[in-house]
Amino acid sequence: MATTVYLDHASTTPVDAAVIEEMRAALALVGNPSSTHVDGVWAARALELARARVAALLAADPDEVVFTSGGTEANNLALIGACSRGGAPSHLITSAVEHPSVLTACDWLESLGMRVTRLPVDREGFVDPDAVRRALGPDTRLVSIGQANHEVGTIQPVDEIARVCREAGVPFHTDACQSFGRFPVPAGALATVNAHKIYGPKGVGALRVPPGARLAPLLFGGGQERGLRAGTPNLPGIVGFGRAAERIAEEDVNRIRRLRDLLVARVLGGVSGSWLNGSRERRLPGNASLGFEGVSAWDLVRELDRAGIRVSRGSACSSGSTAPSPVLIALGLPAERALGVIRVSLGHGTTQEEIDRAAGAIETAVRKLRQA
Amino acid sequence: MTIESDDRLDLRGVRCPANAARALVRLESLEAGQVLELTLDDGEPAVLVPESLRLEGHEVLLHERHEDRWILLVRARG
Repeated sequence: MATTVYLDHASTTPVDAAVIEEMRAALALVGNPSSTHVDGVWAARALELARARVAALLAADPDEVVFTSGGTEANNLALIGACSRGGAPSHLITSAVEHPSVLTACDWLESLGMRVTRLPVDREGFVDPDAVRRALGPDTRLVSIGQANHEVGTIQPVDEIARVCREAGVPFHTDACQSFGRFPVPAGALATVNAHKIYGPKGVGALRVPPGARLAPLLFGGGQERGLRAGTPNLPGIVGFGRAAERIAEEDVNRIRRLRDLLVARVLGGVSGSWLNGSRERRLPGNASLGFEGVSAWDLVRELDRAGIRVSRGSACSSGSTAPSPVLIALGLPAERALGVIRVSLGHGTTQEEIDRAAGAIETAVRKLRQA
Repeated sequence: MTIESDDRLDLRGVRCPANAARALVRLESLEAGQVLELTLDDGEPAVLVPESLRLEGHEVLLHERHEDRWILLVRARG
């Protein structure tokens, strides 16, 4: 059986061998990291080492790192936590292209009486910082704009948006899951990160909570994680996250970008009626969001899967849906074109041979589907 | 004799055992023989932290109460 080519790193990355090794050792730790005996100290040491490693990658103090069950929980904690501290219902600003864990949290807050502004984006997926400025009001409690889009890879001008928010005295949150370890997170921002996009385990993430940020917890209990996330922490997962945060610096983004550009050039040059979504210049190095006229992305993903090429439609969190991607619709794509888009995402294990094979398989699959 | 510290860590307000854990993590980032000055809350931290550090082979050079806090000077193990 032919080997497979994994090109779905934006959904999740394979776990690094060094991460697995450290997680295995953490599984053998007996103590609860809240117990005040020596076994508790050893478990807490593993937890605090991981916190220090994640904090270093965030250029933050370890005290700012609140571990969660993943990016979704961290996004929920930022949004719902910021907006449920009591007081009158207020205002929240986000964009139309955010991850479902942001947008559905906004829907929930809206149902409770919050006013939500969902800013539009341009054809490449950019949010205009001036639009953020214009949307700010005296009752705005939070602005949440993701650092890099999970589907089309567009990198938002988050430093500028953070500055607009800082000048207005409004907290800024960014979902940095896709960009963590590749681009610096804006200073002073609430930031969501997770492990499984940086070759760590699934089911663990963190919210960076800068000094002075006021959040209400989502989970109540024993006061772990500075009272912001109760519950015995997922120690092996967190340990793996810490090791992954240390290892991600070794990822060669220039090599990944070069291979991605090669793939895009091969596909756009070899397949008529194909196009690239998002920005050409300011995008995640491993992301290629490719559209094909007259082809169903669902069929194309299946066809490529049979050929051993793993790619996805849209984001993994919504790829089971049959509706066109809201992100692509927000970029201005007509529904019939949005239904023909796949996301190909490279990682540090991707090789030139794999890219050659994937490009050939895409050309063959599109031709076959158009003839069917 | 005055002992100079190479690094300082204020662990007041950090609960047990996170205080001991953070002290260990910091000590492990130092070179062997370097001295870390710790500030601890009175009570359980003043007991658990030095005991944990000694168990890991670090040398507690000073363990002194200053009103409502404790100062520890700890030499990182070789």
